[in-house]
Amino acid sequence: MENKVKKSIDLHGVACPMNFVKTKAALAGLAKEDLLEVILDEGEAILNVPRSVKEEGHQVIKVENLGSTFKVLIKKG
Amino acid sequence: MEPEIDLAAFKKIGMIQQKQKEYFAMRLRTVGGDLTAPQLKKISEIAEKYGKGEVHLSTRQGLEIHNVHHTNLEKARLELEPAGIYMGACGPRVRIVVACPGEATCRWGIIDTKILAAELDKKYFREDTPHKFKLSVTGCPHNCAKATENDIGVMGALLPRWIASFCNDCQLCVNICPTKAIERLEDKTAKTKKPGYILRKKKCINCSICTLSCPANSWVIAIKGYNLFIGGTMGKIPRLGTILKKLITSKEELHALIEKSLRYYQREGRKKERFGHMIDRIGWVKVKEELLHGKQG
Ligand code: SF4
Ligand code: SF4
Ligand code: SF4
Repeated sequence: MENKVKKSIDLHGVACPMNFVKTKAALAGLAKEDLLEVILDEGEAILNVPRSVKEEGHQVIKVENLGSTFKVLIKKG
Repeated sequence: MEPEIDLAAFKKIGMIQQKQKEYFAMRLRTVGGDLTAPQLKKISEIAEKYGKGEVHLSTRQGLEIHNVHHTNLEKARLELEPAGIYMGACGPRVRIVVACPGEATCRWGIIDTKILAAELDKKYFREDTPHKFKLSVTGCPHNCAKATENDIGVMGALLPRWIASFCNDCQLCVNICPTKAIERLEDKTAKTKKPGYILRKKKCINCSICTLSCPANSWVIAIKGYNLFIGGTMGKIPRLGTILKKLITSKEELHALIEKSLRYYQREGRKKERFGHMIDRIGWVKVKEELLHGKQG
């Protein structure tokens, strides 16, 4: 992987829309192309956060299924 | 004293006698649950003037003014009409058309539900049918307007297609597809040595989740149209709607199939028999054949 993960946040148990708010805040602290790793719950969280992240111009580059949570890697756009 | 009125005629326009026999509920005609702010003000004014100052929201996006004395019904009706508020329907006939907000405001929306609901309302509202008849238009397979619980349910639908060159292999689609209709295959696209993503069409419910969420816009819309469900009902004997046809791309064809379904029910349905129960009585194979290929309109 070209870039190293700059920040990691665990949003397990954090409901919509706070999970997206926290993801957005974490991305705001990074530079363009930096990678953020986020743990998201199954269900609403994994359905909504990546889509909202896309709407904000960032890119999901990896989603790993960890059972009832997902590890999502996001590249800041 | 019991009023001397034609209750059936009143019911037809949504004036429903309450158990307090001199009082009526005035059921109003809404389409997709939409009203303007001035209309709401007018309704509020009439509810205060002729009712008890209360309005009731029905389970199907309808609005009712309760506790109106029978001697005031006509006055109330005439005062509502200039604001574009008309009476609804009750009894064995086509009821108000429900709809979700659809693509006008909802990000998942695939079709314009409001336009279609208005067209259906204009064509069929208050037509007589063997039993009550309900139509619903929902913008996508999230099914917020419960297309599958109505006699006719239209659902916005799409078929996605995968474009290999855009894909970054993030695997989001595989993980969020609600029916696991997307499969990732290692090295399937042998030329590029990149994994391939395959759509299992039989499992796909035609939603907009993959096309909207894919970060690389690798899932694109191949076909956009309507899924048509018929025969859904809740009530005493619930039955979910059966899919008559998937991914109908022409609105004319959609309207023709709805027309045919309603006419079929008007011809063959028994009194107090909902459309879905008629379908079960006649048999789905026969009904489907008649509606998709039958001659009678
Ligand atoms: S059915 Fe789809 S388009 Fe309609 S409100 Fe629900 S999510 Fe939005
Ligand atoms: S979500 Fe899009 S980019 Fe990610 S694996 Fe699926 S098709 Fe590829
Ligand atoms: S349209 Fe919906 S059901 Fe079909 S593959 Fe995409 S996400 Fe899955």
